Amino acid sequence: MKARVLDSADVLKIVDLLREQGCEVFAPFGGHGRDTCYDKVTDQNRGQIQIHLPNPYYPPKRFIFPHIERLMKVQRSGGGIQIEPTYREPKRAIFGIRSCDVAGLWHLDRFFMGRDFRDIYYEKRRKNMFLVNVVCTDPARDIGEECFCVCADTGPAAREHFDLQLMDLGDGEFMAVAGTPAGEALFSAPFFRKGTDADVARRRAILGEVRKSFKPSTTSWFSAAIRHVSAGRIQEKTWEEIGKRCLECGGCTYVCPACTCFTVSDRQVGPDEVERVRIWDACALGGFTRMAGGHNPRKAVHDRRNRRFFRKLSHYFIQRELSMACVGCGRCAAVCHGDIGMPSVVEMIRRETAEVDKHEPVAR
Amino acid sequence: MNPSPAENVYLPKVAVLDRVVDEIAEVKTFYWRFEDPAEQAAFKKFRPGQFAQVSLFGAGEFPASLPPSPTEEKTFFTVRTVGSCTAALHQLKPGDRFAVRGPYGNGFPMEDYYGKNLVFVAGGIGLIPLRSCIIYALAHREKYKRIQIFLGAKTPRDLMYRDNLREWAQSAGVECHLTVDRAAEGWTGNVGVVGSLFKKPGVQVAVEDTVAFVCGPPIMFRFVIKDLKALGFQDKNIVSTLERYMKCGVGKCGHCCIGVAYVCVDGPVFTYEQIQKLGEDI
Repeated sequence: MKARVLDSADVLKIVDLLREQGCEVFAPFGGHGRDTCYDKVTDQNRGQIQIHLPNPYYPPKRFIFPHIERLMKVQRSGGGIQIEPTYREPKRAIFGIRSCDVAGLWHLDRFFMGRDFRDIYYEKRRKNMFLVNVVCTDPARDIGEECFCVCADTGPAAREHFDLQLMDLGDGEFMAVAGTPAGEALFSAPFFRKGTDADVARRRAILGEVRKSFKPSTTSWFSAAIRHVSAGRIQEKTWEEIGKRCLECGGCTYVCPACTCFTVSDRQVGPDEVERVRIWDACALGGFTRMAGGHNPRKAVHDRRNRRFFRKLSHYFIQRELSMACVGCGRCAAVCHGDIGMPSVVEMIRRETAEVDKHEPVAR
Repeated sequence: MNPSPAENVYLPKVAVLDRVVDEIAEVKTFYWRFEDPAEQAAFKKFRPGQFAQVSLFGAGEFPASLPPSPTEEKTFFTVRTVGSCTAALHQLKPGDRFAVRGPYGNGFPMEDYYGKNLVFVAGGIGLIPLRSCIIYALAHREKYKRIQIFLGAKTPRDLMYRDNLREWAQSAGVECHLTVDRAAEGWTGNVGVVGSLFKKPGVQVAVEDTVAFVCGPPIMFRFVIKDLKALGFQDKNIVSTLERYMKCGVGKCGHCCIGVAYVCVDGPVFTYEQIQKLGEDI
C-alpha cells in the first residue's frame, strides 16, 4: 500500500501544496449547525477548512458537471452563423470529498466517458480534477442519520477513484493513501513519513469500528430492493403510495451526487449573440417528458417516482453503466418533504414484499 | 482518464435553407443542406427512420424525423408548428441559416426486411418518417415482395406529399389506399379511419411474411394495432417509431428514457413487442 502518515497539524499543508501547483481548491466549510458547504479556498478562509463535519447537501459534482454550464456561443453576422464551442478546463482539486461522492463522480465518469461515448465538456473538466478523499471516521460529525454507504458499498473508505485518501487515525495523526501517480507525487513533501504495519493495523481497526456506528437502518435491505426493482416485482400501489408523498420539488435530484439528467436552453446575450447552456434537470418535475404541443407520456407522479428508482436501482442500468446511480450518501432522505428518499423507499419496498410473501402459497 | 481528444457531440453544423414548400395547414417542408459539403456527404449516410436535432438559435433545438430516403438527392424536414422551436423554423426564409446535427437513432432495419411484404400504415403526419422507408423500398423494389400503403388523414386537405401520393397511386409496384375521416366536395375515395381500409372489398392485406410499419397519432396507433392483430399480425412484425421530448439525441440528457431504453439511441424504431415491454404510453 502506498501509505504515508502525517501529523494532523500538517493536513492542510496538502491544500497549500495543491494551491502552489496552481489548483483552484474547493474544500468543505462549516456554517451554523448542519449548514455546511464546499467553497473555494482562499488565503483568508484556508484556516477554517473543516475535516470533520456533516457532508454538505449541495454535492461537489458541480465542480465537474456544473449546475449551469455554457456549451457554445453563437454569433450572427451578415446572414451567416458562427458557432463556437466554449470549453473550460480549470486545474482544480476537491479537498475533503467523501467516499460516497467519490463513487458518485465515478458513476458520472462511467456515464459521460464510458464505453465509446465522450462528453467533451465533462471530460475536459474531469481530467484536470484532483480528488483528496477524506474517510468518515467521526460518528458524531461525519456520519449522518441517513448515511448508508456501507449498504451501497461505497464507504466509509473509498477503495479507488481518488488521487489521495486521508484518514484520521486519532492521536494527532492522519494516514494518507495514494490512488494515482499524481497523488503519490505529493508524498515527496517533507511532512509525510512512511507508515508502519502498526499504522495499517490501526487504520483497519478504526474502519471496523466506524462501520458499526452507522444506524442499523432498513437500507441493509438495499440489495434485496435492487433485486425486486430489477425483476419488476414492485406493485403499482407501492409506487402510487410513493407518488402521493412526492411534492415534485426536484430536491432529491438536486442534491444527488449521481444524477446526470440535464436540459439545454438558449439565451440571448446580445442583439446578435446567443449562448446555449445546459442545466441540471429532474425526472421528478412534471414537464420533464412533456413534448411541444402538450402531450406527456408520463403524466402521473408515481410514474415519475418509479422512473427515478428504476434508473437508480435496476440491475439493467447498473450493468449498462457498470456502476450504480445511488451511492448511499442519504442526502435525498435529508431534503425530502415527503420522506421518500432512498432509505424510506427501500423500507416501503421491504414492507410490501413482506406483505406479498405472506399471501403467496408456499410451493411444496 | 482517457486523454484522447473527443469530438463535441452537442455541436450542430450550420445549414442553409434552400426552399420551403407548404404541405398542409401548419405543416411545411424545408429543403436544406449543410454549408460544408463534407458535412452534407457524411450526413447523407443516414438510414430511414433516423432523426436529426435541428437548432434555431435563441429558440432551441428539437428532434425532427427525416422524411427523405438516403437514395434521394435532397435533404429536407417536414415539420408541423407545435412549439417555439418549430415556430422559429417556420419563420425562416430561403437563404436563412440554422443548424443541424445527426443523424441519430437506430432507424428501420430495411435490409432485414429483404424478401418480405411491406405494409405501411400512416395517420396524418405519421407519414413523415414512413415516407423515407417507402421511397427507400421503392428504390430497392426487387428486394421486397408486395408493398402496400394505407394512409389516413382528417380531410382531403390534410393529405401531404401529394406528388408522392400521385406517383404511388399510378405505380404498378405499389398498392396505395387513401382514406379521410371527413370527406369534402370532390372526394370520391374512402371515408373512415385508416383501419377501415383493411376490410374494403378488393383489399387483401398481406399478413404472412410481412412487416407492418405503423406511424400516427396515439389514438390511431391503438386502433390500427387492434386491426392488425385481428388480421393475424404478430407483435414482433409490427414496427413503429416513438416520439419523446429530447434534448441531446445521444442518450445522455435523460428525457426520452422509457424503462430500459433511450428512445434517441435504442429507438426511435421499436417493434410493438418491444414497445409493450417498455411499459409506457405511446
